[in-house]
Amino acid sequence: MIPSLELEFRDRLGDEQVASDPLDLYVFGKDAGLVRGEPGLVVFPRDTADVATIMRLAGRHGVPVVPRGSGTGLAGGAVTTGPHVLLVTTRMNRIGGVDVENLCVWVQPGVINLDLSIHTTPFGLHYAPDPSSQSVCTIGGNVANNSGGPHCLAEGTTVNHVLAMEMVTPDGDIVTVGGPAPDPIGLDIRGLMVGSEGTLGIVTDVLVNLLPNPPASRTILLAFSEVQHAAATVSGIIANGLIPAALEMMDQPMTVAVERFANAGFPTEAAAVLIAEVTGHPSAVDAEAELVRRLATSHQATLIRIASDEAERKRIWLGRKSAFGAIAQMNPDYYLHDTVVPRTRLVEAIEQTYSISKRHDIPMLNVFHAGDGNLHPLMSFDGSLPGVMERVDAAGKDLIEMCVAIGGSLSGEHGIGMEKRDYMHLVFDEMDLDAQARIREALDPGGRLNPGKIVPQGSRCFDFGRPPPVGTWV
Amino acid sequence: MSWVTRHAPRADELSSCIQCGLCLPSCPTFRLTGLETASPRGRLTAMSAVAAGRPVDSRFEEIMGACLQCRACEVVCPSFVPFGRAMEGARAEIAAQTSGFTRRLRRLVTARLLRSRTAVRLGAVAASIAQSSRLDRLAPRRIRGSLAGMRSLKGRPPSIVGRTRAARGERRGVAALLAGCVMDAWFGDVHTATVELLAAAGWEVVSPRGQTCCGALAAHDGWADDTRKMASVNMAAFRGVDLVVVNSAGCGAHMKEYDHWADGGEELATRVADANDVVAEAIVDGRLPRLSASGDRVAVQDPCHLRHVQRITDQPREILAAAGLTVVEVDPNGGCCGAAGIYSLLEPDMSSRLGSSKAEQVQATGATLVASANPGCEIQLRSYLSELGHEARVAHPVELYWEALQRSERRGAVR
Repeated sequence: MIPSLELEFRDRLGDEQVASDPLDLYVFGKDAGLVRGEPGLVVFPRDTADVATIMRLAGRHGVPVVPRGSGTGLAGGAVTTGPHVLLVTTRMNRIGGVDVENLCVWVQPGVINLDLSIHTTPFGLHYAPDPSSQSVCTIGGNVANNSGGPHCLAEGTTVNHVLAMEMVTPDGDIVTVGGPAPDPIGLDIRGLMVGSEGTLGIVTDVLVNLLPNPPASRTILLAFSEVQHAAATVSGIIANGLIPAALEMMDQPMTVAVERFANAGFPTEAAAVLIAEVTGHPSAVDAEAELVRRLATSHQATLIRIASDEAERKRIWLGRKSAFGAIAQMNPDYYLHDTVVPRTRLVEAIEQTYSISKRHDIPMLNVFHAGDGNLHPLMSFDGSLPGVMERVDAAGKDLIEMCVAIGGSLSGEHGIGMEKRDYMHLVFDEMDLDAQARIREALDPGGRLNPGKIVPQGSRCFDFGRPPPVGTWV
Repeated sequence: MSWVTRHAPRADELSSCIQCGLCLPSCPTFRLTGLETASPRGRLTAMSAVAAGRPVDSRFEEIMGACLQCRACEVVCPSFVPFGRAMEGARAEIAAQTSGFTRRLRRLVTARLLRSRTAVRLGAVAASIAQSSRLDRLAPRRIRGSLAGMRSLKGRPPSIVGRTRAARGERRGVAALLAGCVMDAWFGDVHTATVELLAAAGWEVVSPRGQTCCGALAAHDGWADDTRKMASVNMAAFRGVDLVVVNSAGCGAHMKEYDHWADGGEELATRVADANDVVAEAIVDGRLPRLSASGDRVAVQDPCHLRHVQRITDQPREILAAAGLTVVEVDPNGGCCGAAGIYSLLEPDMSSRLGSSKAEQVQATGATLVASANPGCEIQLRSYLSELGHEARVAHPVELYWEALQRSERRGAVR
């Protein structure tokens, strides 16, 4: 099946746009997570027409298609579950003209998140969602996973910043959903698409919202001798009606690893470090920074430092955003987890994380978006040692069950992909899962888009594995 | 059959990459192609595949060959992956496991001819004749650009090997200047400037006989045994001096990593200093003067092996400012110009795309003076600037400072 499909791709798209050597397939067989799965073919479309061609040809051969951006996903969303066609969007990286009056711009899915904000800097604008991988990850991947980031506490995640999109359906049709208006009429397909992990259509152009750069900001580094004090400060800040632009926490092992790379002056002896950033009008930010300082003091902060200049601010954020890479200094493998708990139960979640870490003998470093209760326990291990992967899996399962038990959820921002597909039943009952499977079936009846992701197999009350014949009662 | 040499990428080097992907946007070839296989992470994954048993085949060779070895990825890597070392290891494996005429030719040039001062001189003369007779127009396309970018040989000073220069003022010690291969034949003016400034800063300058090419190009092309020999020869030649000064960024970067190649290499490595570093220090210490501003603008290009490997960026700017020049930046990200040693000959398409875009960045600054501290970059810049029709002089920062110092001394003498 694939050899003839490959010939058709080469004929229609050109040799430069197709890779099929076994070594290429191996290299494209993984993202930044743990799962490996080699594609049957890799294609590099240059524009929407190429994507439509790929979908039509692959459809004719009945071969599923899986979209991939820079490959920084952690849940296996861009890893194929069979010899499928991997559609890599990195060559679709055009940024349209910035609409400075309506504060929006059309961007192709392969545009790197940070490149967009750099591009709009001369207009005094930025694209708000800023995942830790923002210097690498693509807008297409952000849309697929409804990505967040440190600054989503006040500004919202990707879904709050996508106005419209052009997409290609599994049949190769090109449709546009949404529009420049913030609340389009009719069913919100645009909202449905965001976070659908490439299972409903391939996004080929996105109209994103841009925000004016804040005129002033204060970045405050706080340290505590007890994790409880840091968590109490987080709750205190929000209870006082202040929603900072970002409110991030790192525990001591994480801080030590990060400081070695970033030299941002993080206090490595502290049990927990908080990074709070307030943005807005110059007169407001000083008052807000003062409130943060007062609350931190009342919760026994051992260090309160306001970044004195842009260089210091950048260093602090570089440290925070290189957290996950920095831990390779400890062990060859890592598993960056992503769960959510109610903010008020942070302390409990952290304590339980430590006991899960101890129980399975897997070191865990913690970095999290404290403001919205999004935990990122980072397991560090050597997967080549016998029995280690099993312990990692077991620890991951315990983490998820713990978070769900205290009122949290499966994933904050990394998506479900393959990683958490089989945990969906922890938060959804049969009826919920059936509804999700039905939506997917309605848009992709042939199951040709990113199969094996998000919705566990057997979710559909009647799982035919193929569309039932017209007229069948289900 | 996976690896066969002791230089192969080591398991600990490969496993230090956790595949986070933060290196991707810093990689010039990933930026141009959008390919994982043309990214640092993808290259490491391909090496891991071979370590796990895949063959060193032609596709592996292509994937490794497309790497510029600019090392920009190392700067942004939070896991400190020794990418350059691993890539040198992969190249050594390819060299050991493949054969053919091109391979032999590559070894002849990078590992044999460059060691022979006579051969390099002859090459220089031949290139010079081609240049002045305009015969270079008949050369194959991939060589033509390099020929066009070379300095004219007319009136160049002779080799510095075997010569000495006494220290002026308070004596700091003995500094040996690496003559180098192409530097000695083509860039004698940079050597003169370096020698004079070192002497003025209190260094007794020598350039010992018995030294040879640093071996960087051989190492980058995988000729590990030749590289080891060259390192050993230089370690013996530079024994006993306080400082080994290198005014070609690529050579200095390589010599600072002699520990990869020879036992005891780290001892020499600690004595190696880039000329920018030594001259800038002398300016900061007041042993060399800060000259009055001329108002002339100079665009600074950071050679990758100066910026990413030696992590030297402030010093050339310090020197140029002290020369009275106004420094303008070319590229805040310090992207590669595409010269990358013999890369421009082996991968002409990629190299020319990078060269053109770098030349456009220089043109956009409007500067007609460009400073670059590496011979390969200088040739590449000159070649692509002339293709753009942008008239600009390209020179080494130390050279520009020395010229300004001489002008200012002459003016002082007249006054």
